[in-house]
Amino acid sequence: MASLFSIFIGMALINNFILSRFLGLCPFFGVSKKLGNAVSMGVAVTLVMFLASVVTWVIHDYILVPFEAEYMQIVIYILVIASLVQIVEMTIKRTNLSLYNSLGIYLPLITTNCAVLGVTLINTQETYSLVESMVSSIGGGVGFIIVLSIMSGIRERLDLADAPEAMKGLPIAFITAMLLSITFFGFGGIV
Amino acid sequence: MTRWRKDFLKGIIVSNPVFVLVLGLCPTLAISTSIDNALGMTMGVTIVLLGSNIIISAIRKIIPNSVRIPVFIVIIASFVTIVSLTFQAYFPDIYESLGIFLPLIVVNCIVLGRAEVFASKNSVFYSIADALGVAIGFMLALLIISFIRQLLGTGALTIFGNELFSLPGLVEHPLSIFIQAPGAFLVIALLMALFKHTGVIE
Amino acid sequence: MKNSKAKQALPILVLTVVVLIAVSVLSFTHDITKAAIAEQKDNKVKNMLKEMFPSIENYKYEDNLYTISSQDDIIGYAFLASGQGYGGEIEILVGLEDENTVKSIIIISQTETPGIGARITEKSFTSQFVNLPIDDIALSRDGGKIDALTGATISSNATVNAVRETSIEKVRLIKEVP
Repeated sequence: MASLFSIFIGMALINNFILSRFLGLCPFFGVSKKLGNAVSMGVAVTLVMFLASVVTWVIHDYILVPFEAEYMQIVIYILVIASLVQIVEMTIKRTNLSLYNSLGIYLPLITTNCAVLGVTLINTQETYSLVESMVSSIGGGVGFIIVLSIMSGIRERLDLADAPEAMKGLPIAFITAMLLSITFFGFGGIV
Repeated sequence: MTRWRKDFLKGIIVSNPVFVLVLGLCPTLAISTSIDNALGMTMGVTIVLLGSNIIISAIRKIIPNSVRIPVFIVIIASFVTIVSLTFQAYFPDIYESLGIFLPLIVVNCIVLGRAEVFASKNSVFYSIADALGVAIGFMLALLIISFIRQLLGTGALTIFGNELFSLPGLVEHPLSIFIQAPGAFLVIALLMALFKHTGVIE
Repeated sequence: MKNSKAKQALPILVLTVVVLIAVSVLSFTHDITKAAIAEQKDNKVKNMLKEMFPSIENYKYEDNLYTISSQDDIIGYAFLASGQGYGGEIEILVGLEDENTVKSIIIISQTETPGIGARITEKSFTSQFVNLPIDDIALSRDGGKIDALTGATISSNATVNAVRETSIEKVRLIKEVP
């Protein structure tokens, strides 16, 4: 139990995907200007991360390892993620149109979000069990949502800030990320 | 030949993948802690980019539009696996220090971006120019960032285990924040602002 | 009608062919590199064990325990220990000279703060473990013989605890099997 908790905290805060592992930076700097959008994007990523972790765990332990085909890992994982994104997109479209309208545009982008492939590779590398993989993917997702929301709030204000001409736009966003990243150092050592 | 040169040159500075197009940020920031890592990553990306650009442009006319992206992904993932296995077998040190960022070349937007934007619409001849140009642009960006981070973060510059030079004072008390996560954000922010200010990039 | 059906099947056919080609190319690459990869992994283990036990001639790996031998005599044991440090997991290779004494340790992987906790990899810290009785492996403030790194108590403590606890566990295992 203690170790599940430390996996969760580790993935969500200490080794945060965006601020410390540098995974999923594109949506972080790309779409995160409105809080609502940031949360929707984060939820969509977390959902795919969770499903991908479960499916890749099953494939890795019951197909790749018994058949000694671990070298196919990268190809299989990315195909699993791409198919999952398609399935999730179709399911949401058929069952809940309003949800689709808020999440829909982010879904295709998730295939190439390195946080998703990243979490499945980390799970395999750390030889996590099924439950541990689930916890680690949710932890990663929660950390992703937290940082995306914080950043969206700051960027809304950043647009009004009087930054030097050359620093406007991305450079100042990177500086903000740097300060956030230092802040997250404070979580080190809590588990 | 002039068009070949144009396709080749544009990826280096005018459309530099990192500083101008802002693609492939994750590996750029994550592995730019040392020159060795930067070179290893460049090698991996170059092989994958060149290989996938060549294959995709060669078969671009027989790929049906509806399965275009899955086909690209399979081709790119295969090249990444080849690179990953080769590194693991012959360059185990680089393989280990790149960690999961080696397999993550699959989702590097630079590679898929070139496949979609360039290789799927142009001949093999020009796709090679495009891949090489973009790879050099990527290498330049990585080298600049990792040079600064390694020098300030460790006080010395080493390539493949050989120390080139070290800064007295800084070696004893390195600014280790630079090889940690915040340093990556700081360096790329300042470089981008500098390039913008001097007009190197728009 | 027939034509449109053929048109619908084409994308799937192309995708299948591409996947098949990819799989065969990869299994071919895998075949070529397999031996080299296995050798690299073996070499890495051998080199580390050799660093610990210079007179090593052979080793046996069973139940997560390396048994080191030289001229048919068992000269020591080695195993992996891991602990939760400040920035994540610390992995340590621990060598035992006999059931009571640590031979030496090597930090295999860690993600501690560079310049602070990451100094656990330095000789000045790891050399403290050399030829130390397992009972003495504790930080000096807890009555042991290991001095913690300045400003890096969590990293030092995690290393010390991992080495001591895993050593005690493995010694029990070694004593069970004569």
